[in-house]
Amino acid sequence: MDEVNTAANTNHVPSSNFAKEVEAMPGGADIAKCIQCGMCTASCMVASTTDKYRPRKLIQMILLGLREEVLSSDLPWLCMTCRMCEERCQENVNLAEIFHAVREIAAREGYIPPAFKNAIDVVLKDGWMLEDAYSDFIEDDRDDLGLDTDLSWNKKFVAKLKKKYFKGVFIK
Amino acid sequence: MKEFALYAGCTTPVRLPAYEASVTKVLEKFGVKLIPMKDVNCCGAQYIESVSYNAFAAMSGRILALAESMGRDILAICGACSGSLKIVKHELDNNEKLRAEVNSLLEDEGLKYTGTVEVKHLLQVFREDIGYDAIKAAIVKPYNGVRLAAHYGCHVLRPPDIVHVDDPENPTIIDRIVEIAGGVAVDYTGKTRCCGGPMLGIDEEVAGKIGTDKIDNIRAANVDGIITACGFCDIQLTQVQFGNEAEGKERIPVLQLTQYLGVALGIDAEVLGISLNKISPAHILATQ
Repeated sequence: MDEVNTAANTNHVPSSNFAKEVEAMPGGADIAKCIQCGMCTASCMVASTTDKYRPRKLIQMILLGLREEVLSSDLPWLCMTCRMCEERCQENVNLAEIFHAVREIAAREGYIPPAFKNAIDVVLKDGWMLEDAYSDFIEDDRDDLGLDTDLSWNKKFVAKLKKKYFKGVFIK
Repeated sequence: MKEFALYAGCTTPVRLPAYEASVTKVLEKFGVKLIPMKDVNCCGAQYIESVSYNAFAAMSGRILALAESMGRDILAICGACSGSLKIVKHELDNNEKLRAEVNSLLEDEGLKYTGTVEVKHLLQVFREDIGYDAIKAAIVKPYNGVRLAAHYGCHVLRPPDIVHVDDPENPTIIDRIVEIAGGVAVDYTGKTRCCGGPMLGIDEEVAGKIGTDKIDNIRAANVDGIITACGFCDIQLTQVQFGNEAEGKERIPVLQLTQYLGVALGIDAEVLGISLNKISPAHILATQ
């Protein structure tokens, strides 16, 4: 058997329909456009700082159908969504949106890093991020600067969202 | 007089009130009045955005609808907030089903998203509503030769086809204002790279390294200070200079664009909250 025939007989079939599942999510539609050139990894500050994250490889894992491996890992959560890769991608693949879609699927199945879970719990309880950090000292600084000290955040709306979108999923 | 509804976000009012104060004072000088938004919620950036597209759209959608009820366009001063509000506006304007769902959640408050308000980041207000000529005409206390590196913020600039702020690879608004006020705008390696802030929640060590890399690149360009237009970036670029990796190195002050410009407009440094800055920019102010 010569080399050409070997290549022709190689049949790449994804091990699951994970890419299709991502494609059907809001923001996930462009994953099929990826040509695996690696421009994203070359542009990525996270990839240039740590060996554990490579956006091209993560997209490849999704395309290959490695559903459980992707969902149970930290990988989709390591994207900073700085969109430098999207700016450079010649095929207009919106990686930040794709990874958001993957995170949403992961979260539904209970895979969510503790820091994200804690922040989501706080936002859905208080309506914003920093209620516990808003101290008397900061209130004094605001007063000195002539700024309103009553930040008047709305809590009712997030309670409504919690009921509609997060009930019985992963939030207490 | 041009008026905007100010959406200050979560981080700025608590961690960086001086930014909020300096924005208010500087824009007032140019006849732009800000009406702080009341009864708002978090825009949903990063955290809610990661786990529920619909809940994220509802959170930013409610802020947009509140501005509609005020009859004012929104000024957002944080990169994450301006990015979220613009992305959600884009989604709501192009996805009827999503808009209907968000509006059904807003109905009992008497709110409705119809798409009439614009969202602007601070840098757009300087370029589009005030203009460089008016800024130039208002300078009364110019700097002299101070070398400054601009950091724009990822979510301020990208995705460019939705946020419409500046050239994403070669942004110029901060640099132009630096020069108009008498400073020297200094280019440096990785100018449009991230500060590392969004990584703090998931891997603090990596976040610190990314921020430190940015500071090292800026240091190599021999600058006197860093000028930003995002509260979150300001905090990250400041705090990485207090970490272990920064030990023994001279700290580079981080100033908000409105603090830097405000002083050149003759506004008192105290009013701009400059004494609250964690790294003193005294040597920058001394060039005036």
